[in-house]
Amino acid sequence: MKSPSTKPMSKVVKSVERAVGRRDSVLARKSIRDSLVSVAGLIGCSVTNEDGREIGRLVDVVVKHGHDAYPPVSGLVVKVGLRKSFIDGARIAKLSHNQVQLSSTTINLTDYKRREGESLLDGDVLDHQIVDVDGLRVVRSSDLYLAPLDKEIRVVGVDISFVTFLRRIFPGALGRRATPQHVLDWSTVASLADTSGVVKTSGSKTALSQLRPADLADLIEDLAGREQSALIEMLDPELAADALEEMEDEELQGLLRGLTQERAAELLSRMEPDESAEVMRDLDGEHREDILKAMDSKLAKQLRQLIAFDETLAGGIMTTHMVIAQEKDTVAQALKMLVDSRDRDISDGVVIVDGKGKLIDHIAIIELVAAKSVAELGTLVGPPYPTSVQIDSPLDEVVEEFSNNRGASIIVIDEKGKPVGRILADDLVDALKPEEQHGLSKGTGALS
Amino acid sequence: MTTQRKIRLAALLSVMGPGVIAGLSDDDPAGITTYSQLGAKFGYQMLWVLVISTIALIIFQDLGARIGVVTRQGLIGLVRQKYGARSGTLSASALIIANFGTLTAEFAGIAAAGQLFGYSRFITVPVAALVVSFLVLRGSFANVEKVFFALSAVFISYVIAGFMAHPDWSKAAHGVFVPSMPLTHDAIYIATATLGTTLAPWGLAFIQSYAVDKRLTRDDLKLLRIDVWTGSLLTGIIGFFVIITCAATLNKESATNITDAAQAARALEPLAGTLAKALFAIGLVGAALLAASILPLSTAYSVGDLTGQPAALDDGPKEAPLFYATFGLMTFFASGLILLPGIPLIKVLVFTQILNAILLLPLLFFMYGISKDKRLMGEFASNSRMRAVYGFIIALVSICVLTLLWFTVRP
Repeated sequence: MKSPSTKPMSKVVKSVERAVGRRDSVLARKSIRDSLVSVAGLIGCSVTNEDGREIGRLVDVVVKHGHDAYPPVSGLVVKVGLRKSFIDGARIAKLSHNQVQLSSTTINLTDYKRREGESLLDGDVLDHQIVDVDGLRVVRSSDLYLAPLDKEIRVVGVDISFVTFLRRIFPGALGRRATPQHVLDWSTVASLADTSGVVKTSGSKTALSQLRPADLADLIEDLAGREQSALIEMLDPELAADALEEMEDEELQGLLRGLTQERAAELLSRMEPDESAEVMRDLDGEHREDILKAMDSKLAKQLRQLIAFDETLAGGIMTTHMVIAQEKDTVAQALKMLVDSRDRDISDGVVIVDGKGKLIDHIAIIELVAAKSVAELGTLVGPPYPTSVQIDSPLDEVVEEFSNNRGASIIVIDEKGKPVGRILADDLVDALKPEEQHGLSKGTGALS
Repeated sequence: MTTQRKIRLAALLSVMGPGVIAGLSDDDPAGITTYSQLGAKFGYQMLWVLVISTIALIIFQDLGARIGVVTRQGLIGLVRQKYGARSGTLSASALIIANFGTLTAEFAGIAAAGQLFGYSRFITVPVAALVVSFLVLRGSFANVEKVFFALSAVFISYVIAGFMAHPDWSKAAHGVFVPSMPLTHDAIYIATATLGTTLAPWGLAFIQSYAVDKRLTRDDLKLLRIDVWTGSLLTGIIGFFVIITCAATLNKESATNITDAAQAARALEPLAGTLAKALFAIGLVGAALLAASILPLSTAYSVGDLTGQPAALDDGPKEAPLFYATFGLMTFFASGLILLPGIPLIKVLVFTQILNAILLLPLLFFMYGISKDKRLMGEFASNSRMRAVYGFIIALVSICVLTLLWFTVRP
């Protein structure tokens, strides 16, 4: 446990600020600090009408995720008699640590149904895994705190301390009081409760987008199945794809199984083709077909080709991303093509083909920059000619070629001599890594 | 064709682990003692109790492994999430106490087995504690698992001892397939104890956390099922050989009063030879070492689960301080307890057995509840037929637990 047992609130706020890295955390405001209500303590308390007569017991608190950093309470689930009913959040007159008072005497009782963009604080968030974005870790929430803010009651913080968790075991007022120990500002955590696919724009999303893909991959791997899919849904697809490339294949396949076909297709299309092909190669056939069908047909065709190749052949480890230009294109056009594809590609030059599409040469960026922009690419063709391998060349041949020519990449051609892809040095490193055994590969210990 | 088969075998071997290790660690010294008593007192007659226990083990280990793979959370974490703070803390606390008691029993087993070979407990117990801690502290997941497998191999000695005892195979077959028992206090007690020692709470918590730590995926479920069935069946088979060894020797010679497994080994010597005794004792050491590694590990997983702190063998002590602290403290105190003079060990063991029995019921209920939760299990949620099977076993265990409690309160 990282949380010290007793800590004055000012220190808590400081530590929150430190974690958040900014001063505008609402937990820093005294008015908020003094009015925190523990959600864990509130569950099971009585809900009364205007006259103070009890109409039922609180079962859960519903919040609405929208554009706010601190989601407002949009309703209550209350047990009236034997029935669980929904009461609109607008009817709450007063919410204290042990009671909820409503603003009218007559209440419409409707059954609660899950709505898009809403989550249940007790059912979905409390005691569930959440992502502490600043601390880069997955934690369990011990308590959630509500406070009035901008004319609404909102979730402002998550307590992740174990002491607070233990407090909840005690009966009565002892178990209900707010004990802010190790409180994270709500805007810095990613609650993964919302599985309806609504992308949330909140502080946590911004914070998530600033993480390194490798860190994000670690977080994703630490999460449980449902939470994992929820986090992926929440992320910007480009960022998610980057993080996915950093994940272990086994792990990634498990994750893809938990996503919708559309989402899986979207993410896989944004990954490097060789990486997505490698992952999809091991998916079961039916599932793979479903994902491919949900993709752009051109890309799907490419991927099918890549998947079909054995991993021990050149075609199985190549990437299909490359910039291809004709002999008569100008240097300026070639440079523009490179610039246009800079997000998708890590090309170090353009591949030149003749009218029939056959490989002629590869021209490095440095040569293009040095040449006159109106010059035709054909004039730059000349030795040294690029090394190429056949699409069905075995891996050791690729290695042989690589070590002979000492370049950063090698071009793969089909039987007609057309360039179909490139093998970068890092693809080769991946391919040559000793076959990792599933489940036994994560060793970091002394002997592995 | 052969390469295809080789690949499939490699895949199976890489998934193998949770079922075999969790299963075989149920054949710990306490388990061997119970099986020895069953065989020594009742001969071949009550072998069917072991069959039922093994089936219950298969069903619930299978469920535990599936929950672990699908939810990727340990049992205690899920209990906290689904059943709240009180249920989570209560079951975790009970599990910690029961595991501590059981771990003490494992070290007692090591001490007793060491004495059979003439080694003092003041040497064997600390050495065992150090070996176990060193293994888990320094090893990666893969290496720790290899050692577990190596330890499991020791169980073969029971099978050899079984053959050396020249059992009456037709009587054994009769005992397996035809249920009958004398309706005496002793018989009911031993039947209950057999079920309780085979289906242990820590084993259930362990298989789930271990499957999570091994990062198995849904694709592995089919292979994992083979692993779980193999492990549980092996557990039953080892138990079978322990029982028939004792039935063919001790029961035949009316040496029916066995209080621990080491005593059974000693009693075997004049009846089946020195080698049989040695095999029995070697099996006991291996069993105790395996269980002594699994128990603190299972506890550490559960504590990590409850608190939401990292709990994985591949995390270092710096990343997962609580995990390693739990492991270390459990091992230190349990082994230390054995070395203290004047500890009423028998009382500790009886108390542990009762606590394990009481704890088993809520855990089975929780697992049942989780198994049918669509939000957690999705397409892997249990159907009504499976739920009926779970319900039947839970009812059976309830009867046994109540009987055990009844006999404990008024013997």
